Amino acid sequence: MGRLNFRLTKASFDQNLRFLKRHVCRYAGNVVVSLMMKRRNLIGYLFASPWMVGFLLLIAWPFAASIYWSFCQYDLINPPKWVGTENYRRLMQEFREGRGFAVALQNTAYYALLSVPLSIVVGMGLAVALSWRVRGQAFYRTAFYLPAVIPIVATSVLWMWLLDPQDGMVNYLLSWLGVPGQNWLTQSRSAFSVAGLENAAGWAAGKNQLLLFGSKDALVLMSVWAVGNAMIIFLAAMGDVPESLYEAATIDGAGRFRKFWHVTLPLLSPVILFNLVMGLIKSVQTFTSIYILSEGTGQPGESLLVFSLHLFLSAFSDLEMGYASAMAWVTFVILVVCTLLLFRSSKHWVFYSSQ
Amino acid sequence: MKQLSTIFVLVCLLAIGLFVALQRAHPRVSDRPENAGRSEVVFWHFWGGADRDVVDDVVQRFNASQEQFFVRSIAMPGNNLQAKLFLAIAGGDPPDLVNQDDPIVGDWGWRGIVQPLQDVCSPEELRALDEFLFPAAKQLGSFDETMYAVCNGLDVRALYYNLTALQKHGLQPPRSLEELTEIARIITPPGTLNPETFGYLPDARRLWAWGKVFGGDFFDFETSRVQLTDPAIVAAARWMAGFGNWYGADTINRFRQGDQSLPGKTFPLLPIQDQEVQGRYVMLMDGQWRVRDIDAFIDRRRQQGLAYPEFGVCALPAPAGGRVDAGWVNGNFFLIPKGANNTPGAVAFMKYWIGLGDPEQAAITCAAGGWIPVSEEVVQTNVFQAFLDERPLFREFVRLAGSQNQTPIPVIPGAPMFKREVEKASATAMAKPDQSTEAILQEANTIIQRRLDKLGRRVGQ
Repeated sequence: MGRLNFRLTKASFDQNLRFLKRHVCRYAGNVVVSLMMKRRNLIGYLFASPWMVGFLLLIAWPFAASIYWSFCQYDLINPPKWVGTENYRRLMQEFREGRGFAVALQNTAYYALLSVPLSIVVGMGLAVALSWRVRGQAFYRTAFYLPAVIPIVATSVLWMWLLDPQDGMVNYLLSWLGVPGQNWLTQSRSAFSVAGLENAAGWAAGKNQLLLFGSKDALVLMSVWAVGNAMIIFLAAMGDVPESLYEAATIDGAGRFRKFWHVTLPLLSPVILFNLVMGLIKSVQTFTSIYILSEGTGQPGESLLVFSLHLFLSAFSDLEMGYASAMAWVTFVILVVCTLLLFRSSKHWVFYSSQ
Repeated sequence: MKQLSTIFVLVCLLAIGLFVALQRAHPRVSDRPENAGRSEVVFWHFWGGADRDVVDDVVQRFNASQEQFFVRSIAMPGNNLQAKLFLAIAGGDPPDLVNQDDPIVGDWGWRGIVQPLQDVCSPEELRALDEFLFPAAKQLGSFDETMYAVCNGLDVRALYYNLTALQKHGLQPPRSLEELTEIARIITPPGTLNPETFGYLPDARRLWAWGKVFGGDFFDFETSRVQLTDPAIVAAARWMAGFGNWYGADTINRFRQGDQSLPGKTFPLLPIQDQEVQGRYVMLMDGQWRVRDIDAFIDRRRQQGLAYPEFGVCALPAPAGGRVDAGWVNGNFFLIPKGANNTPGAVAFMKYWIGLGDPEQAAITCAAGGWIPVSEEVVQTNVFQAFLDERPLFREFVRLAGSQNQTPIPVIPGAPMFKREVEKASATAMAKPDQSTEAILQEANTIIQRRLDKLGRRVGQ
């Protein structure tokens, strides 16, 4: 029954007919099912197509094209011209001479190294404070989250007023503490720099005024103001810490600080890692506020010339898209290395509740 | 199957809708009855606020005077016009005419971003333009003996002074650089910790002006060499850095930031309080647009029955051996981008705006906007003379606009970088008066020359 019978009898004929009907139907059925599956997939692809087309055209294609452009002289208007590794060699030269790319690298590093840890500490501190059951908790949570949803342009303009050296509220508050008004936004010298330390030493010796904070410090201050997103993530993570652990700690005689140090903090460490990585990437991408504060120039004294602004000016002001692409790729590699290092180090300080 | 057909129909409708929308977004001939049959000139500019009204008025007057073309102006205030233009050219749909004010003519002309006027104008039109424009206006639009841009308004800087405040100190307006320095020193003695007023304070960005006044040239067009170490330029930078030495970079930075926080960015030469005679400065270098601010201030005080100080304007005073009536000039100019569709319309509008053939029209525009005309013919019209009678301070700016010693930033490829590096060096010299000004300029010179040489090499390729 399982195969064709070639004897010329009526029985053989019937048997062969049954065999063919069964197998042909199975084959046709498979074809129909396959077609139906394909159609379903097609519908799925059709629905996903707007995103896929957007991704391919607006992300994947420029991403790939920028690799090629980084080896070209390209001004957006004329066709790219292959120049080999010239753009990368120029980056290296600027790095050696401490200008252009090196200045951008230095400014970005200063901003990232201060703003990311500070945002995490402040975000976590606020989350802890807002997790306490006090009257008006919802109001406080909304109030502290609000700055994170205000448009960045409005925030930047607001901070320009707040940081005004003569009439700004920040200097006014500092004056209450006996600290002289600072030259926020007009001073290239920053607090954590050799020049900043020299100024502090000069002030201690009575030689000059204490003018510590400059434009980069102003930028760090602004980043801390918009700490609402990190705060919300910490708040959510704190809600996931099992109550039983706090009960056990209470039985062991732990106070509020020890509970935070030995229970809350270790269980928040995955979220700290997440905020660290995301904060690092975000700090390198910061553009709008810096563009507004420095009026698109990176002034005063190139102190606000960060990666993103240097890249933008190179591409759209100097029309050096090849050089800008090379810079973007070097930045990308630096970010990948930093992220990998963070993940590798996380083995030593990140604890998952399953461990 | 039914589902698929529905999706297919929807996608088709969407595609057709997009196609129609794109077609409608770029009408080459107007679909408005009042513009019927006329071809459209798309004009991009960055003017906003009161200036935009002036631009809209010119466009309206031009459209009313035309049977062949009509202009559709699109305002793009802020700094994003440039990036949009590049993308529009790369995408094959540029505007027909663009207004700009950055030193980009040489760079864009060399790269082929804009069309040389010889490709879009007749020889007669080019000759007429050559005879019509002020020397500074011609320089602003020309690179490598080819005209790429038509200047439509000049920006000239001069020295404003508060005569009443000067006289209060027993002083007179400066006639030389030495007098200017001495006045600055008398009004604000060096070492003053928290000054409320400065006699004069140079702006680091204005080395372009003072370098010329001292007798220097930033670029040698014969040899294509940058000349920041020209003794006159070094002397100018050293003189500016001297103010950093007198008052300290921190004090200067602080004071300058205070200028920015004045309500509505008031001209800091003007007194703020009603009873005051002097503002934050007694003398200040600025452009012709400040005349409007001074006149508004005087009108307000007159209406309130208050006394007001007397103001004056003079050319930047030169040192011995320097140049008279010299300075840095820039301005707004029209450019026709590569791939523009309606070049005859763009040329017609440019000519109308600057007053070539009808100076009265340009005079109306310049008087309304408080702009300096680009031609003596416009200056001599009745309309503009009446404007000058109303605003006598403006006369000095118009006079300076015709001077041979008013020159722009060198119109060469790489000029935006050139400008940035010079201003950076000048700011460094003022912020670090203990460092050698010559060494700072030498370093900037090397960097700029290297970048220009690289561009130059590519020009030849």
